[in-house]
This record gives sequence, C-alpha cells and structure tokens, in this order.
Amino acid sequence: MKINLAIFLLAAVALAGCESSSPVNTVQNAQATGQHTLIQDRRVLADRSFSRRVPVVAVNTFMTPGDLLKVQVELFNRTGSIQRFNYSFEWFDLNGIQIDNSLEVALIPDQINARESKFISAVAPSPVCRDFRLKLFQAQAPDQDQ
Amino acid sequence: MKIKALIPIATLALAFAVTGCSSPGAHYIQTGGQESVVNVGQINIQDFMSAADAATGDLLASGVLDRVQPPPAVLAISRFVNDTSQQLDTDLLVKRIRVALLHSGKAVTTTTYGVGGPEDPLAAQMQGPASRAPDFTLSGKIIETFARAGDIRQATYSFQLSLTDNRGLAVWESDKDITKQGARPSVGF
Repeated sequence: MKINLAIFLLAAVALAGCESSSPVNTVQNAQATGQHTLIQDRRVLADRSFSRRVPVVAVNTFMTPGDLLKVQVELFNRTGSIQRFNYSFEWFDLNGIQIDNSLEVALIPDQINARESKFISAVAPSPVCRDFRLKLFQAQAPDQDQ
Repeated sequence: MKIKALIPIATLALAFAVTGCSSPGAHYIQTGGQESVVNVGQINIQDFMSAADAATGDLLASGVLDRVQPPPAVLAISRFVNDTSQQLDTDLLVKRIRVALLHSGKAVTTTTYGVGGPEDPLAAQMQGPASRAPDFTLSGKIIETFARAGDIRQATYSFQLSLTDNRGLAVWESDKDITKQGARPSVGF
C-alpha cells in the first residue's frame, strides 16, 4: 500500500510540470483576401519531440515600406497542454554573412495554448538583411527567485 | 519482492526530481539566454532586451522614420519615467533602442539635446550653428502591476514608448507588456 502511494507521488511529481489548457477554437473568413507569400524552408530539427508537439506550419515574408524584411512563422500546438518556448531570429545579408548588430540577441519567451495556431514575427534590423533563421527552443524550467 | 527492489530506484529518481542537477560553479552564460534567472518581483535583463527589441522592430516596420527627408531621422531622447518600485537605469532599455536604430541606418540620436541638459556637454559646446534640430523625441514610461492569489505571484511590467514629431504629435506609440508568474516555494530545502 505504501509502495503504491510512493509510485503515485512519483507520478504526481513527474506530471506537475504539465499544464493543461483548454483547446482553442478559431473561425476566419473562408476565402482569405490577403495574399500570403509562403516560402520554402529548410529545417534542422534537433529537438524532434518539441517539433512534433509544436510544428512550424508555414513561413511567409514580405518587405515593409522601409525596405525591411518581415518574417511571419505559423506554429501549431498539437498537444492538449500549454507549450512554452523561446525563440530568436538571426539575420543574414545577400552574401550569407550574419548581421552582427553588436547587440546580444534576445530570446523571446512565448507560449501556445492547446490546439492553438499562433504566429510569431520579426522585422529585420537593417535593410541589408535578406535571409533569416529562426531558432526555437522548448522553455526550460527557470530558476525562480521571488 | 520486485516492487521492493524498485524502492531505491524510486528514491533516487525522487531525489533527482527534487534537487535537479547539481548547482554549477561560476560560469558565463549568454545574456538573456535560456539559462538566465527569472524573477517575478523584478525586471530582468532579458525583459529589457525583449521590450527594446519589440519596440525597435515595431518602430522600424511602421515606416515613420522613413518619412523624414533627408534620411536618417534625428532623434532626441526625452523623459523616461520609472514608475516601478525598483531602482532602474532606463538606459538598459533606451540605449538598446538607440543602438538598434543607429545600426538600421534609419535614425541617429543627438547627444546635444536632452531633458535637464545635453547628454554630451562638450559636443553641445562644439555644435555649429548649422546643426540639425531633432525630427523626433523619444519618451517613455515603465509601469509595474502586481497580483497575488494564494502562493501564486504575478507581475506585469509595461514598457510604454512614444515618438513625437516636431509638430508635437505622437506619430508612433508602443506598449509592450511582459507578465511573469511564479509560485512562492512553500517548502525550503
């Protein structure tokens, strides 16, 4: 009996990290008037578990009036729980050289609800940026100090 | 019998779950990276980075800076109010925006105009009569809001920015909220 209790407690500890959330219902106009410039992408999946749970659905780009590349990436949470992640964009010029703007790249914390589709986007820091790379990380449990 | 054999394994697993990996010695981490410490009760460096990057991206995409002829636009830094309970250096936010705008080629910041005097007094003395007046001023405010329910604590930090043109009109504004939540540990180890 005590052993069963210990196993139950262990399972409870293991599951404590999962947060359930209500699945998201969406509605939109069936015939979208906006034109999406979807692009082909190349992916390197180091964390296949996270990419299965939150796959990249589509990537589209456009140029802003100031000649800056804007990238929009659509993610979908296939699971029944909130998924937390961090992301950052890296930018490259026409020669494939990374644009080093001397600022540390901020990891943007974000989350996506169960069965939710979500867009993340970024604007290039300079008109010379022509290519990009998105890095997606599953969020680690942070050290917290109140 | 088999279940009894599982007890030491289960105990070890529980110990790992509770303690996590052993605490590391001093080491470098990426500023604002995955390993950064997150505090609910204070603004962390990654919050400043995130807020500044969001504001800069939004400002660049708005096209407001591109309307100035001849480019680049000249920006003066106005008042930044710290309306939080913490002692903050608002340059953690402002300088990052300035650097990003400078590198974009869309704007430069004057150091000879400023609230309470020029940022660079020597440059102000050297300034010639033909120097260009600022096209815009950038002002802002940081606000905090706390909420609590039981052991759960929540803090929202709002980074509000306004870009005002030389007619006195706020032609671009941004409000980036960063909310953090955490449970106060009820048991200390």
